[in-house]
Amino acid sequence: MSKHVQDEKPPMTAEAKEWFDKEIASQEDRYKAIVDEQDGLIPEREKWYTDFLEIVQTRGFSVTGDTRRPISKEEVPEKPDRPDAMRVVW
Amino acid sequence: MARPHMEPYVEFNEDYRLFDFAGYKDAHYKVLSLDTDTGASSLKVRFDGGYARKPGLCYSDMEIFVLNGEMKVGTETWVEGHFAFIPAGVALGAIEVAQGAEAIVWYNDSEPTFEETDRDHPLALKEGFISVNSYLDRPWASGSIVSPATATGCMLKLLRFDPITEAMTFLYCMTPEFMQDNISYHDCSEESYHIWGTSWMMQFGELPTGGYFWRPPYINHGSFRSKLGCIAIGRTDSKLHNYFHFNPWTNPDDNQARAASFLYRQRPQLFQWVASGGHNHPHGPQGQLKPQKPPHDFETPGYGKRPDVSALANQTYTFREMDHLHADEYVHKVHHAHKIGDDHDHDHDHEHGHAHHHGDGEIDHKH
Repeated sequence: MSKHVQDEKPPMTAEAKEWFDKEIASQEDRYKAIVDEQDGLIPEREKWYTDFLEIVQTRGFSVTGDTRRPISKEEVPEKPDRPDAMRVVW
Repeated sequence: MARPHMEPYVEFNEDYRLFDFAGYKDAHYKVLSLDTDTGASSLKVRFDGGYARKPGLCYSDMEIFVLNGEMKVGTETWVEGHFAFIPAGVALGAIEVAQGAEAIVWYNDSEPTFEETDRDHPLALKEGFISVNSYLDRPWASGSIVSPATATGCMLKLLRFDPITEAMTFLYCMTPEFMQDNISYHDCSEESYHIWGTSWMMQFGELPTGGYFWRPPYINHGSFRSKLGCIAIGRTDSKLHNYFHFNPWTNPDDNQARAASFLYRQRPQLFQWVASGGHNHPHGPQGQLKPQKPPHDFETPGYGKRPDVSALANQTYTFREMDHLHADEYVHKVHHAHKIGDDHDHDHDHEHGHAHHHGDGEIDHKH
C-alpha cells in the first residue's frame, strides 16, 4: 500500500500552530537549562572519567554482556585539546 | 533539527498545562520532547477524575503507556503498565477516567489531531494495533537480544517492534547494584522515561523517577550504574546497535565515523555500494569502480591496512547474468531465451555505461 493515513492529515490548525510555536519556545528554554546544568557538572564529570579509566584498567572494560577485558595503560585515551572535550549535550 | 538533545530532563519540576485543542482536550499535559519539524511529540498526560472523550481517530501513529490509575477505553480497562500502539487512522473507543490517571503519550508522526468517529480510516493499518498489560502479560528477557549486549542485570520487555525500521518500544529495568563499564552510542535516537528508580550515567549523573531523555544518534552515554534498581520505558526510532568503547572524550562525529568503520569492516560490500552511491555495479567494466577509503576509527586507527580488512574491502564479486538486470532487460532476456516474439533488431537505450550480458553470457554490446 503506497498511501497512508498520514498523507490525508488535514493541515495544522491555527490552534495547533499556536500550541506548537509556544511549546518549541518552551523546549528551547528547557534545553538551555539542561546545557547549563550539565556544564556545571564538569568538575564532577572529570572525576567520573578518571575513575572510569581506572576501572577499565583493573576490573576491565565491558566488551559485551559480562565479558570484560582489562585495558592496558598504552590503550588508555588522553583527553584531547579541544573546546568540546567535556561537552555531553549536543 | 528533529528534536534537541534533552538529557536529562526531570518533568516533576514542571507544572501541567491544560490541553486546550485536539487530542486529549481538557486533559493536562507536559511536553517531554517535541519534534520541531513534524510536530511529533512525547507527552506526559494527566486525566483528572471524570475525564471523558468520545471515540475517534488520530492522523498520527500513537503510543500510550499508563503510569497509574485506571482508564476505560472502549470495551477495555487499562491500568498501570498498560501499553497500546494505535496506528494512524484506527478509531480508539470512548475514554472514561473515573478516578484519574497519568500516562506517557507519544504522537509519532505529527502534532496531536482528533477526529470524532467510531470507524477506522480506510487506510488504517489495523493489524498494527497493540494493547497489552506490559507488567502482567510480557516476560522479562535478557538484554542480550542485541549484540554486543548489555551486562546481566539489565532486562527488557519488548512491547513493539517495527519490522521495517526495527524501531522498538520496550520496558527495561536494572537490578540493584547494576553496573556496566563501557561507553555506548547507537545509530538510532533513543528515548526513555524513568517510571521508578534511579540510574546513573557517567556523562549526565543521576536520572531519577520522572527522569526523561531524548537522545540523538551517536551520543556517548555510560558507564552505567543503578544502586537500588529502576524500571523505565524506552523507545528507539530504528535499529539499535550497541557500539561500546572506553574513550570519554569522543564527539558525535568521531562516533559516527567509527560506526561507519564497522560497516566498512563487517559488511564491506554493502559499505562500498552505499559509499559509491550505488554505482559499483558488480558486473560493471571494472567491477567496483573505486574502492572507498576506510572511515576513521578513533579506537583502531590504521585498521584499513590489516590484510584481512583490506582483502574484504577490495575484493570484487562478478555476478552472473540475471543477477543485475534492469526490468526491460529482463523482459528482453526472457524473450530471447524462450524465442518469444519476432526476430528483431533492437537498440538498447540505457542511460548509464556498463556492459550487459544477453542470452549466452557474452558481452555483446556496450551502451
